[in-house]
Amino acid sequence: MSDAPVLETSAEDALASQVTRELPGWDPEIDDVLVCRQVRDETHDVRTFVFSAREPRLFRYKPGQFITLDLPIGGQVINRCYTISSAPTRGHLISITVKRVPGGPVSNWLHDTLKPGMELRAVGPLGDFTAIDHPAPKYLFLSGGSGITPLMSMARTYHDLAQDRDIVFVHSARSPADIIFRTELDLMARNLPRFSTAYVCETTGTERAWSGFRGRLTLPMLRLIAPDLEERTVFTCGPAPYMAAVRAMLAEAGFDMRRYHEESFDFATLAEVQPDAAAASAVVPVPPPEAVARTFRVEFAKTGRVIECDAGTSILSAARMAGMRLPSSCTKGLCGTCKSKLVAGTVDMQHGGGIRQREIDAGQVLLCCSKPTSDVVVDR
Amino acid sequence: MSTMVASSLESLLRRRKPGYSLEAPFYTSGEIFEADLDIIFRRHWIYVGVEPDVPEPGDCMVVDIGAASVIIARDDDMGLRAFHNVCRHRGARLVLDEKTTVGNIVCRYHQWTYGLDGSLLFAEHMGPGFDTACHGLKKVHLRNVAGLIFICLAAEPPADIEDMARDLEPYIAPHDIANAKVVQQIDLIEEGNWKLTMENNRECYHCSVNHPELTIPLFAYGFGFAPDEVDDVGREQIARYDGLVRDLEARCEARGIGAREVDHLDDRVTGYRAQRLPIDQHGESQTMNTQVACKKLLGGLNDAKLGGLSVWTQPNSWHHFMSDHIVTFSVLPLSPERTLLRTKWLVHKDAVEGVDYDLRNLISVWAATNNQDGELVGYAQAGARSPAYEPGPYSVHTEMLVEKFTNWYVGRMSAHNAARGPGDGAR
Repeated sequence: MSDAPVLETSAEDALASQVTRELPGWDPEIDDVLVCRQVRDETHDVRTFVFSAREPRLFRYKPGQFITLDLPIGGQVINRCYTISSAPTRGHLISITVKRVPGGPVSNWLHDTLKPGMELRAVGPLGDFTAIDHPAPKYLFLSGGSGITPLMSMARTYHDLAQDRDIVFVHSARSPADIIFRTELDLMARNLPRFSTAYVCETTGTERAWSGFRGRLTLPMLRLIAPDLEERTVFTCGPAPYMAAVRAMLAEAGFDMRRYHEESFDFATLAEVQPDAAAASAVVPVPPPEAVARTFRVEFAKTGRVIECDAGTSILSAARMAGMRLPSSCTKGLCGTCKSKLVAGTVDMQHGGGIRQREIDAGQVLLCCSKPTSDVVVDR
Repeated sequence: MSTMVASSLESLLRRRKPGYSLEAPFYTSGEIFEADLDIIFRRHWIYVGVEPDVPEPGDCMVVDIGAASVIIARDDDMGLRAFHNVCRHRGARLVLDEKTTVGNIVCRYHQWTYGLDGSLLFAEHMGPGFDTACHGLKKVHLRNVAGLIFICLAAEPPADIEDMARDLEPYIAPHDIANAKVVQQIDLIEEGNWKLTMENNRECYHCSVNHPELTIPLFAYGFGFAPDEVDDVGREQIARYDGLVRDLEARCEARGIGAREVDHLDDRVTGYRAQRLPIDQHGESQTMNTQVACKKLLGGLNDAKLGGLSVWTQPNSWHHFMSDHIVTFSVLPLSPERTLLRTKWLVHKDAVEGVDYDLRNLISVWAATNNQDGELVGYAQAGARSPAYEPGPYSVHTEMLVEKFTNWYVGRMSAHNAARGPGDGAR
């Protein structure tokens, strides 16, 4: 014992104190920095980034919530929300899981740059997409691509708490090699008597013995996977077209949509400005709740005016308060008079029919019913 | 219309000689033109376009019929609706482009905003006593017949459109208009009265000399001939043509596709006729080489050799449906001596230009034919203006359909005049 290295002894002591001592909870107001502890390869293009606080802290959150990270990319700080993929039952660490997107500045920065030891500023956790606020005897978790992360956090929580809950976990992926957390899902299915998995793959890739479902999720498929579909509470997260397809299937099945929950990704709007966000899974541009109402910079490209607009105010209102006279009429998202091109940034738009999805896809917004969720540039 | 004009129109109608072309005022008079707009174009079903003109929710198309302008819109439930293109505020035209996409229908003048159901959703500065419910857009009747859009400006449109729809659907439906797309539209202004445009379409007497392109795929025999004037070569051709007709009918009937002649051109308020006609040589399509112009066939068709289904409707349309493409024609009067001929070419919505079809090849036959017909109508109009013009006899062998058009027109005009009764002329 006497010739044991000193360093090793002290490291063991630190570890012992972490697991035996009662740890204070993580307070993002004070502990606003996360330290990267590990980077794990989940698939060929998906990585999990594991963080702790600077000092030992216990992370407390509801499975399904997200955190906002400040990422120093290209000389500026970019704000991004990521759903937490870890479970609060393993509170020493917190993790996010990110898919690399070709040409995506944020996901590529994370994959290429973020290494153990580096530190990032963080805000959170936030969000109300969580099964624990909607207790039910039977759940159906539907996930597409990297939309799996919030549902994985929920599944891990039930698993760790040995909650014998009836959960059917359905995941859609491009190919078997793209199934994120596959071995861990299978492990949970072994450990929990009423937890079952089903995978739907568009192609089988190199896995010739694939026995899961092929193609895209359909209602007949869903009925095979969960014959008691109508009795379940559904949680869905994935790309917008995936979730739209799910909603259509459930509508066709006559499902009671009061038991339906989905994470509000808005890929269409984001894709325009931020190619990265279109597929960077778990990027959740949810407007921060009032409690942490933020103020964003709104720039008008043609007039050169720059104003401030908080997350709870429409851009049109903020502009009028700042003395600008923009074309507008109904202020309810009906008439479309204030239709403008969003050059950069993201908004939360709740319109009344004054704009078509095709126009939204082309980057148009109605300023009267759009609240910023980031700094924005408007072509006015 | 003045009493004098009404009575002179009445006497002109009464003395019309069956089997002969109409008297000159029917082609030149401003008063009769107004009567045509009033009686024919505001009280009958008018063909204006196809479903793929407005393929998605929010898509709008504007069609002008005389002074009336009509919006045809696709609503959020994929339904089709038609409204007068007139704001209920101070009457401004609402939709200004022929084709556009809107969120809601918004007047550019003062931003009165209407939903795609025509209801007024928003009008600023009108005060608390203002009732939006009383100021919705005025509706126009619309009937979608297997993808062909007909509108009627009358308060009570002719009910027999349902007979036409029932009869024509088995013919048209296999071509699946709803899943096609308009790849070309050509608006040709013909320097002639709208009835001359229609009459010119209803015969092929003029085809062999004037339409070198059209007569490659099309047999003039399909539109009649004088049997005594046919020589031995002609007789062989006719025998071959008859064989092709029987063959095509059998082929189509086996597939449940309408082919045999159905004709109600002049015995209904809403007149129509349909017949599938053989195409020469390869038998596929109305193209210069008689082969399909588009590799991707329409709907679920798997046989290119379906000839050409011709559909005629009174008062203002005709259509050609082939296995690979559709050509559709709408005739809209502009003035007594000017007429808009609007032609649209459609292919399967998934067909790719340059891969599945070449646009020039697709439109070549009818683009050329329309120009030739436009010239002929101009000559006919110039002749009708001459003091020497008098009604001439139609060929009983090749101009039966012209007679049916004229007969239908005179019948409808007379029926309206009779219904109105004496003394009602001076409104």
